[in-house]
Amino acid sequence: MSGWLNGKRARIEGECPAVASALAAQGASLVDAGDCDIWVHIAPPPPVKLAHDLTHAEWRASLDAGLDRRFLGAKDFAGRCRARGTGGAILFVGAPEQALGADQAAAVGALGNLTKTLGVEWARDGIRVNSVLTRDAGATLGNLAAYLVSDYAAYVTGAVMGIDLDD
Amino acid sequence: MAGERATLGVGRETLAVPQHHIVATPPPFDQPPYPADIFAGQTVLVTGGGSGMGLAMAKAFAQGGAQVAVMGRSMERAEEGAAQIAALGVRAHAMSCDVRQPEAIAAAFDEAERELGPIGLLANNAGANFPILAEDISPNAWNAVTRIAIDGTFLCSAEFARRRIARGEGGAIVNNSAQYIWTGFPGDAHSAAAKTAQATMTKKLAADWAPYGIRVNAIAAGFFPHDTSTAGRREGGIAPLQNMIPAGRTGNIWEFGWLSAMTCTPLFGGMTGQVIVQDGGESLRRSLMMPDFVPPRERADGPWGWQ
Repeated sequence: MSGWLNGKRARIEGECPAVASALAAQGASLVDAGDCDIWVHIAPPPPVKLAHDLTHAEWRASLDAGLDRRFLGAKDFAGRCRARGTGGAILFVGAPEQALGADQAAAVGALGNLTKTLGVEWARDGIRVNSVLTRDAGATLGNLAAYLVSDYAAYVTGAVMGIDLDD
Repeated sequence: MAGERATLGVGRETLAVPQHHIVATPPPFDQPPYPADIFAGQTVLVTGGGSGMGLAMAKAFAQGGAQVAVMGRSMERAEEGAAQIAALGVRAHAMSCDVRQPEAIAAAFDEAERELGPIGLLANNAGANFPILAEDISPNAWNAVTRIAIDGTFLCSAEFARRRIARGEGGAIVNNSAQYIWTGFPGDAHSAAAKTAQATMTKKLAADWAPYGIRVNAIAAGFFPHDTSTAGRREGGIAPLQNMIPAGRTGNIWEFGWLSAMTCTPLFGGMTGQVIVQDGGESLRRSLMMPDFVPPRERADGPWGWQ
């Protein structure tokens, strides 16, 4: 069971051992910098606080990590793909919209519609954009991530999905 | 480069989009994403499995080594499909069944299990669809489309689950839904209702049967032209349809089969209650400036406007 990502270079921003090991097991070369065919962003879950206990700085930090950095990272990745005339795959991974605090709800709601938008806006660049919003961090997440960034998912773009009933 | 990517699946020469557009394409049919024994020893029942998208699902399960029970309204079509599936090297059994009749479903499950052993996988694909103005849909036409998809999916799933629960074993179900379930489908009201019911029941069935280890997921499928689809019969072929889809092409039917089967593999063993859209961005195509709205009844060439 390997080979979905043979010959592909993947950059993973953020921590998720299941995703990293699944991509590597499917043949991807994991890179820290330089050109890559796949960009996966894994957002760390922000601490859960009631909305009225969140400072503006905490709110902003959560939106920076959960939304702004993802948009800017995707924009940079897509620009590099266009510059060299190749397609690519972007995957956002993180907790579901209503799983944590209001900061997460805002960031992930925005991310979901951003996923749908960029998936279409960059479709004819051959760049696909998808999101998995889940609390799962196990093998299914890793395999799903590897599938979504592979050519087997060539007709899947702008898709926002979870994994289990809690997502 | 685009040319290199195109060699993986659909030939670039078959695409209608401008040459400088890059089109993501899948591996060819003979390179499925899972090993040939991933379903070894298991039997899948595919409703509407004799042709079209159901046959694509059935072939995908067969590529993973599943034995396949092909259920169809038409015995002749089911047998034709079963022959194609058997050619992939697995046992296949054709049956005729109306999925609106619970007793007929139970009898078909009995027959399939006699022939192939316990059914541990189910693909609900049976459905009918045709473009028509809402005011022209007769009660019979409404019932045909909605009850095959809605009642049929429910009845087959419940029959499957009762048998799995009785055996004390889990299982997996995949439902063939559609990309228009979130937007409506003007000119196709019966199917718009039917396909959404399949997706929403997917989530609830998954919750009801999670304690029994039965997973339920759905694919919200886009345009996968085939011999028996309205699009497949279109004069001039599918090339002109490719330009309207953000991905730059219609789907290859084996891509749909693979994703459907994939949700039932142990690779996605933690997944349940999900509706995965696979439509090349078609349902998301959107612009503030769009061509003038034309009501379905005023489109020159029928409700879908391109016939």
